[in-house]
Formats: sequence, C-alpha cells, structure tokens
Amino acid sequence: MFLLNILDDTDPYFWAFIGVGLAIGVSVAGAAWGIFITGTSLLGAAVKAPRIRSKNLISIIFCEAVAIYGIIMAIIMQTKLNEVSELVLDDYYAGYSIFWAGMTVGLANLACGVCVGICGSGCALADAQDGSLFVKMLIIEIFGSALGLFGVIIGIIMTSNANFD
Amino acid sequence: MHALLTYYLSVFLDSYTDEPTSSSFFFGFMGCAAALVFACFGAAYGTAKSGVGVSAMGVMRPELVMRSIIPIVMAGVIGIYGLIIAVIVSAAISVSSYSPYKGFAHFAAGLSVGLSGLAAGMAIGIVGDAGVRATAQQPRLFVGMILILIFAEALALYGLIVALILSTK
Repeated sequence: MFLLNILDDTDPYFWAFIGVGLAIGVSVAGAAWGIFITGTSLLGAAVKAPRIRSKNLISIIFCEAVAIYGIIMAIIMQTKLNEVSELVLDDYYAGYSIFWAGMTVGLANLACGVCVGICGSGCALADAQDGSLFVKMLIIEIFGSALGLFGVIIGIIMTSNANFD
Repeated sequence: MHALLTYYLSVFLDSYTDEPTSSSFFFGFMGCAAALVFACFGAAYGTAKSGVGVSAMGVMRPELVMRSIIPIVMAGVIGIYGLIIAVIVSAAISVSSYSPYKGFAHFAAGLSVGLSGLAAGMAIGIVGDAGVRATAQQPRLFVGMILILIFAEALALYGLIVALILSTK
C-alpha cells in the first residue's frame, strides 16, 4: 500500500518525460538491431549472389520504418507537455498515460524491429539461393512489421485525452 | 500512535472509495501497455522463428512456402489479441470516475492476455519452425503441425477470455 503514496509524491512530469525518451530511444534500438541482423546476412549472401543487393534493401527499409514510428510518436507526445503551476488529477492522468504510451510504442517497436530483422535475414539468404522466394518471404516480413503499427495505434489511443492545462 | 493508526487505515480505506486516485491511472495504463507489449513480443518471436524455418525449407521446396505461412499468421493473431484488450482497457480509463478497483482490474487484464500471448507466441514459433522443416521432408505431417499449433493458439485464447472478463469489471 505504500506504493500508492510514492506515486502521489512523484511529479507526473517525471513520468511523462521518461515516456517520451523511451518512445524514441527503445524504438531506435529495435530498428538498429533489425538493421544489423538483416544487413550482415544480406552482405554475406550477396558475395556469391550480388543480384540480391538492391531488392533486399526493402528489408532494411522496413526496419527503418520502425524508427520512424518512434520519432512520430515522441514528437506527438511531447507537444502535450507544458508546464502548469498547480497539479490536478488530470495532470497525473496525463503523466501516466504518456509514460505508458511511450513504453508501449518503444517496446512494441523493439520486438517488431528484431522480428523484421530476423525475417529479412532469412529473406536475403533464401533469395540468394532461389530468386522466386523473395516475394513469399516478404509476406512474412509484412506480418512482422504490423506489430510496430499496433504499438503506434495503442500509443495514440492512450494519449488522446492527455493534456497538461 | 493513534494518529499513525488512522493514517495507515486511511491509506487502506482509499481503495474502497469510488473516487479516482492518481495511482489508479498508473496501474490502468500499465495494464494497457502490458497487454500490447507482451503480446507483441510473443507475436514477434513466433513470426521470426517460423520465418527462419520457412526460409530454410523454401530453398529446397519452394512450392510449399505459401502453405507454411500458417504459423506466421497464427503468431500475428496473438498480436491482435493483445491489441483488442489494449483498446478495451484504454477506452475504459476515464479521468472522471476511475477507482483503484478498476485500475487494478485493468492491470490484471493486461497481464493475463500479455503474458499468455508471450508464452503462446513462443510456442507457436518453435513448433512452427520444426513443423515447416518436417513437413518439407514428410508431407503427411502437415495436419499434425496444424493441430499442435491450434493447441498453442488456444493458450493465448484462454488469456484473452480471462482478460475480457477482468476488463469489464
């Protein structure tokens, strides 16, 4: 029960700003992770099959899109932050909603980035051996990239009513 | 001593009133985040692990690749389960009347669908990976792989059922 007092005593701006930082930071970590997983496989496979080089950059771009989701959400969330003199219950609502929206967006994008990276790596390796497999493996990557979109949707829904005023 | 006792009693009794406290929002949103994040981790694991299996077996049997996308679709459905509960919970959190009771209920709902989705996603990924590789070598195993995947998907469904019951409390 003492946890409830701690939550009342910490400033909601603490939570809100950490949420904004997590939204962009963890999303970018997921995108970077995916890019290096795909990139290493792509470069290794393209040694003997250089024709796959340009097509499989699509997988890298799918990973980059995850970072774009993160920056969009971070910019949207930080527009809701402004300083008020007197804190009311609405401000605590806003602080917690922005923090958990940032966690949602960040961690969903982290999972999505790693997933798309691994699928892109498999796509590059399969494409190097049989060119007809590229489009089929891309379908699997599209399923993976939907997860980042889920995070953005929920983040937007969560922060839709959040405002400090 | 008497003052300390009444202070502690007032902290306990806070949960039994209907008015929202700031902590109720914290746990409500934590439930919404947990529902989506853990389900996404499970779906991502399932998609990635099965995808690696598909790409490995697709080199030798390219005609079986479209049938082998079934584990990936089932892993994606787990992400949808988490999305459903996250949307329900975030719509139920309102500034005006949100008691700690509701906050903890939504937190429990998020944990139930999220963690069961994580577990089911991992199961679907590992079974899908082994299943598509085995089906490429022995086509009669396709139905068996589907049956095992259905049992794994049912685990996430159990979590969704409990989360739906909890989130409407």
